[in-house]
Amino acid sequence: MRKVIAILPILFTSLLVYFLGKPMGSLPALGKLLDPVTGCWASAESVNKDFNNKLKLDGLKAGVTVSFDDRLVPHIKAGNDYDLYYTQGYLHAYFRLWQMDLQTRAAGGRVSEVLGDKALKFDRTQRRKGMVYGAEQSLKAMEADPRSKQMLDAYTAGINAYINTLDYKTYPLEYKLASFEPEPWTNLKSALLLKYMADDLTGYTEDIALTVLRDMLSPEEFAALYPERLNGVNPVIPHDSIKQTASLSAPAIPADSIAWAHLTATDFEVEEEGKGSNNWVLGGSRTKSGKPILCNDPHLGLNLPSLWYEVQMTAPGVNVYGVSLPGSPGVIIGFNDNISWGFTNNYRDVKDFYAIQPASANSYKFAGKELQYTNRIEKISIKGKPDYFDTVKYTVHGPVMYEETFHGPGGLKKPIAVTWMAHRPSNEVLALYMLNRSADYTEYTNAIHNFLCPAQNMIYADRHGDIALWGQGQFINKWRGQGRYVMNGADSATLWGQNIPVAENPHAHNPAQGYIASANQTVTDTTYPYWYNGYFYEFRAWRINEVLRNTKNATVEDMFALQNDVYSVLAANVLPVMLTHITPNVVTDRERNYLDLLGNWDYKLTAESKAATVFQVWWANFYATLWAKRFGKIPDQLKPSPERTMQLLKEESPYLGNVKDAAIASLRNSIDSLERLKKADKLEWYKAKNTSVKHLTKLAPFSYTDLKIGGWGNTVNAAKTDHGPSWRMVVQLGDEVEAYGVYPGGQSGNVGSKYYATFLDKWVKGEYYKLSFYTATTKPAATYTWTINPKNK
Amino acid sequence: MKQTFIVSLIIIGLGAIFSLFMTGMWLAIVLPSTMMIAMQIPGKRAFGAGFLGVAFLWLVLILIKDIPNHHILSSRMAGLLGLPNSAMFILVNVLLGGLIGGLSGWSGAVLNKAFRKPS
Repeated sequence: MRKVIAILPILFTSLLVYFLGKPMGSLPALGKLLDPVTGCWASAESVNKDFNNKLKLDGLKAGVTVSFDDRLVPHIKAGNDYDLYYTQGYLHAYFRLWQMDLQTRAAGGRVSEVLGDKALKFDRTQRRKGMVYGAEQSLKAMEADPRSKQMLDAYTAGINAYINTLDYKTYPLEYKLASFEPEPWTNLKSALLLKYMADDLTGYTEDIALTVLRDMLSPEEFAALYPERLNGVNPVIPHDSIKQTASLSAPAIPADSIAWAHLTATDFEVEEEGKGSNNWVLGGSRTKSGKPILCNDPHLGLNLPSLWYEVQMTAPGVNVYGVSLPGSPGVIIGFNDNISWGFTNNYRDVKDFYAIQPASANSYKFAGKELQYTNRIEKISIKGKPDYFDTVKYTVHGPVMYEETFHGPGGLKKPIAVTWMAHRPSNEVLALYMLNRSADYTEYTNAIHNFLCPAQNMIYADRHGDIALWGQGQFINKWRGQGRYVMNGADSATLWGQNIPVAENPHAHNPAQGYIASANQTVTDTTYPYWYNGYFYEFRAWRINEVLRNTKNATVEDMFALQNDVYSVLAANVLPVMLTHITPNVVTDRERNYLDLLGNWDYKLTAESKAATVFQVWWANFYATLWAKRFGKIPDQLKPSPERTMQLLKEESPYLGNVKDAAIASLRNSIDSLERLKKADKLEWYKAKNTSVKHLTKLAPFSYTDLKIGGWGNTVNAAKTDHGPSWRMVVQLGDEVEAYGVYPGGQSGNVGSKYYATFLDKWVKGEYYKLSFYTATTKPAATYTWTINPKNK
Repeated sequence: MKQTFIVSLIIIGLGAIFSLFMTGMWLAIVLPSTMMIAMQIPGKRAFGAGFLGVAFLWLVLILIKDIPNHHILSSRMAGLLGLPNSAMFILVNVLLGGLIGGLSGWSGAVLNKAFRKPS
């Protein structure tokens, strides 16, 4: 009996330990997580942590010194390129491993492996759009050039050198929370990450919606509501910079009956609204110092760990500072001893869709023949479940993304294949390698001509006083209209034609106006000889051009102010029209209270403005009401753009129907929302919109919400709910490079580190750090130093 | 009472040293039972001694990380588990350790009693 009783406590202990050691549902193994030695506590980093370090690493060629400044920005000094990128890889992994790992898994459609079958649809989408295929194509190009190959090899070796030092105790916390492990890095992962960016910036599917809308509306109506080019825009490239001759002639336009596919779809999925970015550069004629000033703020997802990692990289032939993408070698946006550059998304359409006509289960019709699909079997591993196999059919156009077994937007079942620039080989790594080392305009153009996808407006300034911008990417010489809608995949006339030589891409070099600005607006006017379409935004460009046109003697402080500008061009144009329809006799007292707030409003979406909230709520209702009759349930994103709607309002267009009724009805509808906001003490704009910087897992305790920041997607300071200025940079190129920057995050990805979100406060307030750029003559004292030497030497 | 204290103190002392190469979980499982067998602690006190020993051991190990960290991590983890603050998170964590330690101590004592020949 005693022996039986003896078993009980042992059984209890075993059971408890067993259950604590097992993940339960979405919960991690609590016993492991709460272990005081190896669990979450291992991530509790002392606020006084001494980051000084002496390392011996396998594979390094010579000694490397890393000096960290007080913001924990590393300044790498290496004796050769290999060691430079090796060290960058090591640092990225040291501070940001989990994020790099997760993002490349996401890019390649491998999230189900770690999160289970709830991510299966996402993974299938990634595979079907050819993300891995595209990354493999690009990797071939990257590994074919010795410079980019060495860069990737070194970077990968550096990451793996760090991963090899890890055990469960030293894993980033998120691995413990989601119960998975880091895996070795590969060059393909870096290629995948760049495709992830390409997808983020060029992967929209509006062609499909536009196809349905075109068939739904009369031709006149469609042309009025969805003009191919908006009038009255401020294009990126000034008119006098456009070279109006082309080396390629425009291809013949096929008959409509041959060119287009016709689709029906009724319940559109809402896609996330497009991302934006601003960059501009002032020539010396417009600055106080007489030197160029370059500014850039790319608007991307506001996440923690931050998308960006600040770094300075120095080796013979290169001394560059800026932000890098953990997972990719080099500096993406920044400056060096001689030049500075920045990016905004170019938004020319480089992704087109083709309706496929199946001939049999294994073949499709093309140019009067039957062609076999090339099948690519995608194996998707799922945590806790058997593997899932998805067969993706590749056609002459590219992969069949949507079909009966995988519906497209709007419940489309027709097989639709996608032709996408991101599927083609390209070597963006080499572009960055060369750009980081460029010393003048010629070297910059040589560098960026290797950057093919995602197409970017690449802004430039140098110490010689040159300013420039290239709308750079690989584009196709299309026939007028090609790819605007889903095309007929059975006819060869719809195939993409020749590449436009990159030297003929739209660009401006020292234009007469003395400045260049891009904010995702239309790239050129119609005198540019090649036809293109795109997904352009105009509001921020209107505002930036209006300010810069009147700017003389600009200082860096003026540029800070412009990056943080929250003036709404939309409000300034539409609110007066909306108010003319609201006569005193139609307004109730309750409505009048809110209208009074709009009385002396300056159209600025400042953080504390209540008028801003009233306008935004009313406008959203007004816009929906205006188009409700014509478009029914079609979501806002597919309705005529706010830019076009604004123009139609000012033109008093008949297509809008009864504007007065819409204004009154929408005001009435807005009151309930506004009352709710008021009751919850959320009438101030920043509370109503709730700009948040969330951890990639969306876990609230690792995230920051209700940030006191103004602006919206259509103001220069484009702080939306979860997207916004991901890096604000201002660089003045005098004898010394004078640079300022801030991003909404911190250098460390560790939620238990004081460096996790260090810069957030300054970012919210619109303040900047002066960037500490080490040169041959200036080398501020380091806060911490890593001395790294090769093993066995 | 005195014996309970002494055993707890030994668990804390040894645990602190062994924590350099063992996980907190293994310490909580192995140390108390071993101690109870080695010191022939009777069942009544073994649970308490194991509980106290491991709870304090875990508390020490946690505070070594938490205090220099200014509770950054513990506050976030508290939020994750729906607890109001870092102190509550630490308390829950320490009680968990105590429970394992107590059960381990009890197991040790019972084993001791079951397999030792009556003298």
